[in-house]
Amino acid sequence: MGLFDKLASWLGLKRREVNVLCLGLDNSGKSTIINHLKPASARVQDIVPTIGFSVEKFSTSSLSFTVFDMSGQGRYRNLWENYYREAQAIIFVIDSGDKLRMVVAMEELDTLLNHPDVKHRRIPILFFANKMDLRDALSSVKVSQLIGLDRIKDKPWHISGSNALTGEGLQEGVEWLQDQIRSMKT
Amino acid sequence: FNFPTARYDDDNNNNNRNETNSKWLDAHYDPVANLYTFSSCTGLADLQGDGENKLVVGDLGTGVYNMKLKVYKGTNLLSENTLLDLPTGVAIFLMDQNEPLTPAIAVASGPYIYIYKNLRPYFKFTLPALEVNPLEQEVWSQVKEDKIDPVTLKEMLEGIRYKNDNLPLFKKSFRFLMLDMQETEAFVNLHKHQPIKRQTFLDTPSYFAKSRSDRRALTCTVLCTYSNKSLHISSLFFFSLNTQMSLPSAPAFLDVTGQFDVEFRITVACRNGNIYILRRDAKRPKYCIELSSQPVGLVRVSKNVVVGCTNETLLGYTQKGKKLWTAYLPAPITTMSLLDHKTRGLQAVLVGLANSEVHMYRDKNLVNIINTQDVVTSICFGRYGREDGTLIMTTKGGGLIIKILKRTAQFEEKDMTPGPPLAQSIKLNIPKKTKLYVDQTLRERENAVAMHRAFQVDLYRLRLTTARAYIKNLEASLNPMSSSALEPLKMNAVVQGIGPSFKLTLNIQNTSAARPVINLFLSFLYDEKLYSMKTSFFKIPMLVPGLNYPIETFVDCLSDKGISDVIKVFVLREGKSTPLLTAHINMPVSEGLSAA
Repeated sequence: MGLFDKLASWLGLKRREVNVLCLGLDNSGKSTIINHLKPASARVQDIVPTIGFSVEKFSTSSLSFTVFDMSGQGRYRNLWENYYREAQAIIFVIDSGDKLRMVVAMEELDTLLNHPDVKHRRIPILFFANKMDLRDALSSVKVSQLIGLDRIKDKPWHISGSNALTGEGLQEGVEWLQDQIRSMKT
Repeated sequence: FNFPTARYDDDNNNNNRNETNSKWLDAHYDPVANLYTFSSCTGLADLQGDGENKLVVGDLGTGVYNMKLKVYKGTNLLSENTLLDLPTGVAIFLMDQNEPLTPAIAVASGPYIYIYKNLRPYFKFTLPALEVNPLEQEVWSQVKEDKIDPVTLKEMLEGIRYKNDNLPLFKKSFRFLMLDMQETEAFVNLHKHQPIKRQTFLDTPSYFAKSRSDRRALTCTVLCTYSNKSLHISSLFFFSLNTQMSLPSAPAFLDVTGQFDVEFRITVACRNGNIYILRRDAKRPKYCIELSSQPVGLVRVSKNVVVGCTNETLLGYTQKGKKLWTAYLPAPITTMSLLDHKTRGLQAVLVGLANSEVHMYRDKNLVNIINTQDVVTSICFGRYGREDGTLIMTTKGGGLIIKILKRTAQFEEKDMTPGPPLAQSIKLNIPKKTKLYVDQTLRERENAVAMHRAFQVDLYRLRLTTARAYIKNLEASLNPMSSSALEPLKMNAVVQGIGPSFKLTLNIQNTSAARPVINLFLSFLYDEKLYSMKTSFFKIPMLVPGLNYPIETFVDCLSDKGISDVIKVFVLREGKSTPLLTAHINMPVSEGLSAA
């Protein structure tokens, strides 16, 4: 980091860059959440199923996020592990209306937590219990019970119920993530 | 609803439990779902065009009432339609190509096919009534006009029944014949005004593409009819019967592949224990497989047909009816289904067994065992909701089990059947052939006959020499076994001690059955410069058959130079100079100092 960069960051002119990985099963709403976090001018109207992955950028008051929005389809899930090493934070999205596939979400989370690139790092994980607007959606507490979040002892985690269509609950989650990343480095 | 009981630990702590857990995720288990059905009455399809597959179940209820067509979405019941009669099969097919694609459900029940579209009743399709025996019709019309009484009717019906075999009586006549005499009057009065119709009963419907094989293809439906032993192929798009094929027996299980306009193949397992394979443009079955016991399930895996039989076996056949393999199962089969995971290219047969297990077979190899909470009566595998590899099972007690195939699950093919071990097929590291070896083999190849002859000549010579030596030995009695008929004797010698004094023990035995031997002498022959013996001549006492006579003597070694020699022992007969037996004793080297 050059002298000018140091000065800029000290003065708060330049935001710190953070790599975030956005994971979750297909149709859980990852791309919709990321789309909603972007500035209003950059948003797209139609969200289509992601193929492979896509890279999106958005920033908060102090951090600049680079999000790797991974595809959640079964055949692309083996791509996830290639990005664990670079990630400084993980966003894990769960469809709280899909009770049947809670076990699948838990299985994928288990695989993630047991991966050598993630296991021994204190990396913050933000969970979104998405689609809270659905009539038969489970509460965020119920979701955290079902996918066994209480087992995560060595990493900071947070779950927030969200509705990516209206943006409800997203800001709360991202603020928590921002606090975690800042406290982690300083 | 039940929450997915993640990693529940059943008390049946089977070894397979861990293995199963590594392949399947337990997504849902509802023991009181109240679903009583068979594999032919279940299906998966995206009925509403919203990208989520639903589960369609023709619920048998109790068999008398509560027959329902149920549609599940996720873990919840989405809709329920009451059925009038027992469903015998459910098929999901595409009726039109309007976007979004919404397939229709065909439920076979009695002589009707009910078609449901958008979860609502849409159409009822009745199979045409069958030909009725004109005599029978005549008789009943006379009854209607009260021209004949029940007794005559009975006699006439019996007559018609035995006269004409290939055209059976209709249901009403059969029921009439079963009645007691006093009940007939009432029955006739009740039924005489009803029209005479002989109806068919439908069995498992099945469907296949009409002319294309993509997902938008319109489908034809194959209808099995139970009572007139035939197959109808119809396009439910037009609601008309297109083709009819007849079978030698009533069909039980059906499988269809191909396209109606191009080429297709229908495999039917019939109630007479045979499997018939029909093809396009053939009114009669092309191939016939005769099973040794009744079929209980039929599944086609790519080009092979897998049949489950009542004698707890699973048989594999080619599509031309050639038997490929047999697998033996631990319990009777309750149901069978195909596991076809297209994105992974995984095809297997799932077999539900009466011991609450579901076995997964890839060809004849058992690749996985799933333990279930109850006996499974129906199995359905496919895309459910948004998950591709979902296994849906219903149990005997009406439970619903949903399992999801893990993304990381691998099924390794292990050959369970006994055969040559794996090590046999491993190639050994054999060194390269040398020039010498090659030359030698060439020479051997060219002169094989001559070499064989030379070898044979040498072999005969060797045998001759051996035989001669043996005869010589026998004649000179040079061996410690006497084979003469009068004195069959056996002798062995033991030398004890380390020298210079040795103890020599000779064990002599009479091997004859009953005859004792007398008048024998024992003599030694040795180098007198080397050894000295107290007595070198004995008289042997009478030898009683079977007993062992030890004769001991002491030998002193005179030399201290560490040399040894052979002492010869002779057993002689009084008045004869040739010995009966000879033994050579190799004396050990004397290790002690000579006393002399």
